[in-house]
Amino acid sequence: MASSPWPLPADAPSAADLSRCVHCGLCINACPTFAVTGLEAESPRGRIALARAVDEGVIPLTAAVQSHWDLCLQCRACEAVCPSGVAYGRIIEHVKAQVAAAPAKDAAPRRLRRFLLRNVVARPRVLAAVVAPARWWAGSLPRRALRKSGAKWLPSRLAAMEAQLPRHPGRPLRAGDSLPVPGEASTEAVLFTGCVMGELFGGVHRATASVLARRGVRAIAVEGQGCCGALHAHDGDLAFARDLARRNIDALPGDDPIIVNSAGCGAAMKEYGQLLHADPRYADRAAAFAARVRDFSEFVAALDTPAAGHFPARVAYQDACHLAHAQRIREQPRALLRAIAGCDLVETPGADLCCGAAGIYSLVEPGMSAALRTRKADAFRDSAPDVIVTANPGCQMQYEAAVREAGIDARVMHLAEALDEAERRAPRA
Amino acid sequence: MTTRRELVARLAAICGAPNVVWRREDLLVYEYDGTIERKQPYAVVFPADASETAAVVRLCNELGMPVTPRGAGTGLSGGSVPTRRGVVIGTSRMRRILEIDPANRIAVVEPGLPNIQLSEAAAAHGLFYAPDPSSQKACTIGGNVAENAGGPHCLALGVTQNHVLGLEVVTAGGDITWLGGRVPDAFGYDLRGAFIGSEGTLGIVTKVVCRLVPLPASVVTLLAIFDTVQEASATVSAIIAAGMIPAAMEMMDRLTLQAAEAGLRCGYPADAGAVLLLELDGLPEVVGPQAASARAECLERGATEVREARSAGERELLWKGRKGAIGALGWIAPNYYILDGVVPRSKLVDVMASVSAISDAHGLQCANVFHAGDGNLHPLILFDERVPGAKDRVLAAGAEIMRACVEAGGSLSGEHGIGYEKQRFMPWLYSETDLEHMGRIRAVFGNEGDFNPCKLLPAGTGCGEMAHQEQALRAAGPDAYV
Repeated sequence: MASSPWPLPADAPSAADLSRCVHCGLCINACPTFAVTGLEAESPRGRIALARAVDEGVIPLTAAVQSHWDLCLQCRACEAVCPSGVAYGRIIEHVKAQVAAAPAKDAAPRRLRRFLLRNVVARPRVLAAVVAPARWWAGSLPRRALRKSGAKWLPSRLAAMEAQLPRHPGRPLRAGDSLPVPGEASTEAVLFTGCVMGELFGGVHRATASVLARRGVRAIAVEGQGCCGALHAHDGDLAFARDLARRNIDALPGDDPIIVNSAGCGAAMKEYGQLLHADPRYADRAAAFAARVRDFSEFVAALDTPAAGHFPARVAYQDACHLAHAQRIREQPRALLRAIAGCDLVETPGADLCCGAAGIYSLVEPGMSAALRTRKADAFRDSAPDVIVTANPGCQMQYEAAVREAGIDARVMHLAEALDEAERRAPRA
Repeated sequence: MTTRRELVARLAAICGAPNVVWRREDLLVYEYDGTIERKQPYAVVFPADASETAAVVRLCNELGMPVTPRGAGTGLSGGSVPTRRGVVIGTSRMRRILEIDPANRIAVVEPGLPNIQLSEAAAAHGLFYAPDPSSQKACTIGGNVAENAGGPHCLALGVTQNHVLGLEVVTAGGDITWLGGRVPDAFGYDLRGAFIGSEGTLGIVTKVVCRLVPLPASVVTLLAIFDTVQEASATVSAIIAAGMIPAAMEMMDRLTLQAAEAGLRCGYPADAGAVLLLELDGLPEVVGPQAASARAECLERGATEVREARSAGERELLWKGRKGAIGALGWIAPNYYILDGVVPRSKLVDVMASVSAISDAHGLQCANVFHAGDGNLHPLILFDERVPGAKDRVLAAGAEIMRACVEAGGSLSGEHGIGYEKQRFMPWLYSETDLEHMGRIRAVFGNEGDFNPCKLLPAGTGCGEMAHQEQALRAAGPDAYV
């Protein structure tokens, strides 16, 4: 029922999605940016009201409106608590598409961002070339020396990126590479390799495959798969996200489960059906593909193998937003950790509040990202965990920085790495 | 006369520029609360404490600018909608817990604190804050004080009035004063009592001394499933007549159950005509037999099944459905108009029949959720505000339902307040002399008519044309006179 006097792009949010919100306000305290600012315009209810006002032609898409939408982390914590089932994640992606069609500010950086997302992130060879120096630097001696000296040698935005690099990035693991094979493989599964994940966190993929192998599941990093398109969709580049989705659907036929160890990718791929619902050639295949997607923790917990491993540490599990809020998986990772001998699982305040990494958000909105990171750092300082476990590469990188900020000596691990290390230490009988 | 630019500059001089909201797009999100009334202020300001609040109030009084206090904007009677524009004072920068004193079982908090955060913090001491409105994850303690908020667990424990000992307030006249204190039984006039439930017409709360009560030793939560609302209503009276005072006794009808189940997947039977959600708490020796007799009463009066929550998780799930039920109606319609009437428990069955007859006559769908134990009804009329004329029909049906509650010997509000929506119904219950005395209380606190105008008491002209001025207001730029 839009009556906007200005043209709305094809991917603008639908009036049906917008009108589902009855502005009851139950979401506002779940929102990290509302928690930090206390401003209604930085709350989910406020952002939807603005989207509706633009849709109905009450106000134009101004720079102020855009900045409220830009500040959204797309963590979807609001969606998980909404009693009306407002599809906030979908609304905000479509809002971003609307912004991309007619930006009211930051048009040039936006174009550059889109270019990089399309031509670097989504192109494995280019990405590999770009990430290689960062990976070398991450584990290098000069970096360790500089860290010890505490010298501030980089401009702040670069320094923030640098602080996020993992301390021990493993060898990359790309689509087509071989993975640990179980003694007796009874079933096969696809391992989704992703973009940055495979370049900076090859170790997580290997750990994932090892944990699965011990359970008789052979993980295969099937060739031809590529970036899931989540970052593009979050940026409002839905057309390109659809292309990437189609490419993955073509590359991964069959009905083996698709194991994803990056929460953001998993959430996006579980929604391929929705993303491609208007594509007559792909709609059904996309829905079938989405039904095969499993988060690592979801898949392993469902195998229900007897507890094994030994991991003597105080562990703080931090929910990845797109695991807890988008995929609604909270209990399985905790249950897997709790079942390990020696693992002392502690709940830190705000464990399910966004860390501020949020895809490329920490680069685009460094101020808010840092404010949220500081909340995590404060929680870590108070509860002093030995290990911080999460389930998404972006979060892992943000926690590396948070640990530094807190000045504590905790390791940051992916759930798969923690399980793998525990099981190596005390293999199953 | 002052321009908006000057107004904003003077507010910024008091609270700092980042704490004043004035751009058109930013004001747009302060035009609503949880109801269907809308109006944009000229500016929103967020003071840090009582002295900044007082300075803002005095400035507005000097400029003749209407003031509307606002907590989280979850209210259900239009209380925080700036009916005559002016300045909205938000409490979101005052959201700390200043003190928890477990020995004396009190907490001192700031008004912008979300209700649930007080109970979460008190839990470490085995205590909780009893008033638990369904919006408790979002709504603020200050807003609860203004509306004298209730909640499911107020059946046995009482409403906000019974759980607030003292208040630091900035009066409508701009003075900072304490009403009540840290101990019960303050002598003299009970101005604390007058302030709680005054709906932001006497001033703004800046500190609240809350009573905390011990967490119950044991809890039993039952879900009784009925074919009809009538059977469920009759059971409510029977349980009370049997001498039990459950901690909570909530009813939901078929439409509500369907919405809650769609949105929250809490395990409700979506094909039932009505359910009663019953909670009994206290010492296990007492609760066990009480639960058994409550169950027997339900089955005797037609319940097809009575389920019991077997774990804390199951209990939480049953309550999640109830607390989210109103918002979940978004699954069925884009808008709802929520009513808040109270009727004597013995009239529940009759009034429920009137409610459905009235909504049928207007061709409207109506869902029902209510605090059955208190006879506090929440009929929710469903509609789509984008359909021309829909809102008028809804308001007409709402007025008839309120009239039916009053005629059954009930009242106009159980817990949502009168606000803007129901002020015109006040003469149904109160004589002119009654209303005049209430009006004089406002003068005592320095409200000469501009402090949360058009709320609670019947207003004269100038408040009735809310929706129709929007076009003209949008045209006003920063240099227009306000």
